[in-house]
Amino acid sequence: MKFMKSIRTVTAVAALCLAATTVAQAQNYKIAFIARAQADSFAAWLANGIMDEVKKYPDMTVDVMDSQADDAKENAFIENAVANKYDLIIVQPNNGEAQRPYVEQAVKDGVKVITTNARIKDIPGSSSVDADPYEQAAVNARLALEQIPQGANVVVLNGPSGNMHADMRRDAWQKEFFDKRSDVKIVGEQIAHWNKEEAMRFMEDWVQANDKIDAIVSMNDNMAAGALEVIKDDPKFENILAYGVDGTAEAMLLIQSGKMTSTALQNAYDLAAKNISVAHDLLTGKITQIDTDIDCPLVTKDNVAEFIEIHKKSGAIK
Amino acid sequence: MNNLMTREKWQTIKSRYSIYLVLIAMIIVCNLLSPNFLSARNISNISVQISVTTILAFGETILIIGGLLDLSCGSVLALAGVLSVYVFKETGSLSLAFAVGLIVGVLCNFVNGILVRRFNIPAFIATLAMMTVARGIALLFTKGQNIYQIGDYVWFGQGSIGFIPIPVLFMIIIGILTWYILGHTSFGRSLYAVGGNEEAARASGINVGRIKVGAYLINGVFVGLAGIILMARTNVGAPNSGQGYEFEALTAAIIGGTSFSGGLGTAGGTLAGAFIVGFLNNIMNLAGVDSYLQQVIKGAIIALAVGYDMWAKVNRTRKTLGAAKLPTERKEARA
Repeated sequence: MKFMKSIRTVTAVAALCLAATTVAQAQNYKIAFIARAQADSFAAWLANGIMDEVKKYPDMTVDVMDSQADDAKENAFIENAVANKYDLIIVQPNNGEAQRPYVEQAVKDGVKVITTNARIKDIPGSSSVDADPYEQAAVNARLALEQIPQGANVVVLNGPSGNMHADMRRDAWQKEFFDKRSDVKIVGEQIAHWNKEEAMRFMEDWVQANDKIDAIVSMNDNMAAGALEVIKDDPKFENILAYGVDGTAEAMLLIQSGKMTSTALQNAYDLAAKNISVAHDLLTGKITQIDTDIDCPLVTKDNVAEFIEIHKKSGAIK
Repeated sequence: MNNLMTREKWQTIKSRYSIYLVLIAMIIVCNLLSPNFLSARNISNISVQISVTTILAFGETILIIGGLLDLSCGSVLALAGVLSVYVFKETGSLSLAFAVGLIVGVLCNFVNGILVRRFNIPAFIATLAMMTVARGIALLFTKGQNIYQIGDYVWFGQGSIGFIPIPVLFMIIIGILTWYILGHTSFGRSLYAVGGNEEAARASGINVGRIKVGAYLINGVFVGLAGIILMARTNVGAPNSGQGYEFEALTAAIIGGTSFSGGLGTAGGTLAGAFIVGFLNNIMNLAGVDSYLQQVIKGAIIALAVGYDMWAKVNRTRKTLGAAKLPTERKEARA
């Protein structure tokens, strides 16, 4: 009798523990954010945004993993996240096509996956949150159509070839601007790998070879800022136009001071907030799949003040 | 007889100064390709552009001569640079920021030296580890974000004294310092001995460990300074800057005739190597050569330049050996 009572007590305690654990598990969704490269300032901004945003959801936790711009590392992180039973994986691909089979396998294994910045298209069952890279460049190109003078000389700074955002932004400039403005001459075009110092070196050489450069067309803000750094004290280039993409703190300050013409904001906070809210909706069963984009507003001197606030919030501008 | 003397003289010049001949040939070709090439502004631009990697290359030269190397210089440069910028933003003191940059460079390289000396870790592995650690600390400290609005700090990278840009001035000073250390100090002589044959150097009473740590400490000063210049030049404290700079620095040193097997190399050769790469980049940009093609041409010309330099040196060695053997061979023939 006493033995049966003990058995009942132990069973009851075990059942209680199990129930408590189940409840706790149900209330704590584990998310893996597999970042492209923490050394990439936008990726770091996004990761910081995701860590801040998830604090608003007490039932979710995020672990950030750094792929260090290496496909093999990123793919291994995806496999490890599946093996470690994460409830959802957010993948910021280093190279979408290289990560595709691993994301497909994760979906097959029943893990929810969001691809972001840039999305990996056409994977049934996965979701995506992104900004449209074509549109980011196109908003600048449409403005440039009105601003860049007839017969202008321009220089073009590209991102790494094969990178989806780099290629699509360049494509947008071609279709929305260069194809429509045959009078404009490209006097220099190089790949500066999103890098400010590399862009400076190219610009230093271009100003030697060309007395007249009317505009800098850059696929990101960092390279545009590098080119502007070279000519900032040169009266010959006082009225140069400069276009970028990303909306970095530096670009905002340059636009505010009148040195840079425009950029399209790719707001990492918006991207982080949307990723986390989509993740929550997927995990709680509110939705089963979604492909969504954040806005990419054009930033010019007229509206830059409101966007500077974003960077003040992040501490990048004091 | 006179003709023979002149020919021998020319052969000596050709073999000893082959890398400078390559450099002169390059200047002539570049000048033909672009009328802007030899303009004062272009030469000043190139000098500024190569200043950071050349300062790093001087450090690598010292290390390679001693049979060492530094793969961490790109990452340590970033760490030293961002900490220096941070200190400037917090205190407004240029001298303090400058000192912090140098101290960080020296400390990281002191650790490199200790790992190599005390724990006998190969320089390749020790500095590879430091490369990861230093980059990690830089990213951790800044949370991966750039530090903007660096104010007067830009003077280190964009200022000038008279007509000489500050980065070029630093490059010249470091070049002279390297030349002096290597050629006119007992440390320099010991370094060549250690790199040429470590065991023989030890047997002759040289404190090999101290020489190795010393070489890393000097490299640390150079790396810290390069970090300060790069951040100032780009007007931003960027924790992800300097990636791949270790290879650019090694390239300049190797093109300049520094032997990877140790014991050989000069400051002048490294400077020439850095200018060869700088001229090459510059002329291809001025001529509007496609990005992908630039990489192919650069690789091919580097291989050609080093190939010619090696061929000229081997030729000289063969001739020296041939001359030395000749009397012996004659004696053998007589016998």
